[in-house]
Amino acid sequence: MKILVLNSGSSSVKFQVIETDLERMEAGRDLTLAAGQVEKIGLADSRLTMKVPERPPYQDYREILEHRAAIGWAIRILTDPEHGILDAVTEIEAVGHRVVHGGEEFASSVLITPEVAAKIDACSVLAPLHNPANLRGYQAALAALPDVPHVAVFDTAFHQTMPGHAFLYGIPFQLYTKHALRRYGFHGTSHRYVAYRGCQMLGWNRDSKRIITVHLGNGCSAAAIDHGRSIDTSMGFTPLEGLLMGTRSGDMDPAIIPWLMAMEELTLHQVNTMLNKHSGLYGVSGVSSDMRELLDARSRGRTRADVAFRIFCYRVKKYIGAYTAAMGGADAVFMTGGIGENSPEVREQALTGMEYMGLDLDVQRNAGLVGREGEISTDGSRVKALVVPTNEEKTIARDVVRVLEGVMPTFEPPESFDS
Amino acid sequence: MSWELRNIAIVGGGMMGRSIATKVAQAGLNVSLKEVSPEALDGARAELEGALDHEIDRFGLTESEKRAILSRIRWVTTYDATADADLAIETVQEDYGQKRQILRELDRRMAPGNPIVINTSTLSITELASDNTHPDRILGMHFLYPVTTTRVVEVVRGQLTSDEAYERAVEFARLLDKVPIKVFEMPGFVTTRVLLPLVNEAMHVVMEGVAEAADVDLALKLGFEFRTGPLEWADRTGLDRVLNWMQHIYDENGEPRFRPCPLLKRLTRAGLLGTKTGRGFFNYDADGHRTDRLADDRPGLT
Repeated sequence: MKILVLNSGSSSVKFQVIETDLERMEAGRDLTLAAGQVEKIGLADSRLTMKVPERPPYQDYREILEHRAAIGWAIRILTDPEHGILDAVTEIEAVGHRVVHGGEEFASSVLITPEVAAKIDACSVLAPLHNPANLRGYQAALAALPDVPHVAVFDTAFHQTMPGHAFLYGIPFQLYTKHALRRYGFHGTSHRYVAYRGCQMLGWNRDSKRIITVHLGNGCSAAAIDHGRSIDTSMGFTPLEGLLMGTRSGDMDPAIIPWLMAMEELTLHQVNTMLNKHSGLYGVSGVSSDMRELLDARSRGRTRADVAFRIFCYRVKKYIGAYTAAMGGADAVFMTGGIGENSPEVREQALTGMEYMGLDLDVQRNAGLVGREGEISTDGSRVKALVVPTNEEKTIARDVVRVLEGVMPTFEPPESFDS
Repeated sequence: MSWELRNIAIVGGGMMGRSIATKVAQAGLNVSLKEVSPEALDGARAELEGALDHEIDRFGLTESEKRAILSRIRWVTTYDATADADLAIETVQEDYGQKRQILRELDRRMAPGNPIVINTSTLSITELASDNTHPDRILGMHFLYPVTTTRVVEVVRGQLTSDEAYERAVEFARLLDKVPIKVFEMPGFVTTRVLLPLVNEAMHVVMEGVAEAADVDLALKLGFEFRTGPLEWADRTGLDRVLNWMQHIYDENGEPRFRPCPLLKRLTRAGLLGTKTGRGFFNYDADGHRTDRLADDRPGLT
């Protein structure tokens, strides 16, 4: 079946049409028929770009003021006789929506009903920038395609299997009951797919292994996946916790915040943007949030670029060590995301010196593997290290099939506590 | 939506004009900022960019956000360039004659019905609009400085303001992520009318020798969690402007409680206007930092 996958942000909509079903999933023959996006929604020069395999890229500009017009435009181009890939919009049999936050309500992907949409809306308080945009995309797509099923796939859902000792913070418990203030984790769709695909590459059953997945992109997170279940992940209540990222600080002493607000007389807004937009690789190096530019500056002897690089890799190494301990050992480490897939330098710095836990990096293999899947550990390494390019859209399309076929695995609700 | 808010014209590139322009561009709307000459525009542009750079230094903004803001601002010197405005705001100094002239120029060019906003804290909207061809589309908005961070704006209805123009201005305030406080015209509206007597009283306390200026400010700052004390607020606002407002409110309703403090008049006449002249109630360096802050007047870390 042909599935429209949508990832709606506040000023952009990314879309893909993917052909898949249970048989194709089994055989790994899912087909991406088209991938594109509408950017700068709300402005006079909104842009639509689309790539179709074997064709030159398409792009066009026009004024698009809101999501409904953006999705209408995407559908028009998808069904365009010259540039499109569909004869009629009725070929789209279902729509899959990326939704950032599912709170404690959603531990797996679900068919969107009015009740589900209301619950997604209720989770907006946890993701005020993302969930409202996701919902606007859903409402726009529902208006354009009212007769097909719409499925929500959550960034947080995969990590809902975390036990209480991993998801609670050491702060007064009533803040958890009052505000649902706890660790959720993100990138769940990516961690789930990468764990699945990496095990498939090794001929393993994911549900019998202890896997550490490391997603290094614009945002960065690691996850400990024990026998198929996420038992810990590095992002927390928001995507700010954990690893160092392009412009985000990751872990730090929370006492810094009130201290700095008093000392520098910063406002809440300023301290918030300081941590989210002025920190990370960019904030430490003063060079760039882009790993390629950072590596370039480092090779030219810029010491701040070098130390930013080292902080980044050191945190990855530390989390891998922590998750190995958490699972009583690990069978494999899978690297993914823009940096994880394309930077042998980062992988080498992060994964060397891990013979103590049975991981023996093959430096030659690692150096030669850029932008594609493959093994980077030695043949004799007891713990396997792999590069596994992520594919969140494919996972969303597959979840649509699973939900419609009634084979979506469900999880029990999170651990509950006495009051 | 029958009415779109895309293009905002701002007349006057002073402190308020620049601050409003920044906030409007941040909200994703297009701005035409009008000044009287290319030289005045260059000055306004340099000041506006400087303020953005300062906010970047304070972590409140990024370089790419700065570029996005600047890309939405058009710098113009003619009223013709404001003809496409869905809403226009004048931000020149508090002067009836000058503001009237601007209202006429805008009214002559803008599409019928599009609101024309007077930015004022004390002047009469009704009086300013009275000789205009379309007084119904004229209303007041009192933005508080800095416009980029204060969340409140007073939306002021004059005697002749139409419901339609008024509601559009309220909608505009919401687009800027501001809380509109609906007020009917009266000198000082809410914020200025309540705040100025407090500031004026602080000046009386100093004049009477009850306490030193620094102690007056510190007492109120620490006692009521003010970000700045009333006298430093007056210095930063400009004592000439404070006197102008105070005098206007007093002239309008004649009540003694609004009579400007003689010390305020004396300092203003002496040219000690506050931060911008380096001296008012307190002393300031060229960057506007106070140089005579008391030892107790520092951030508390406990």
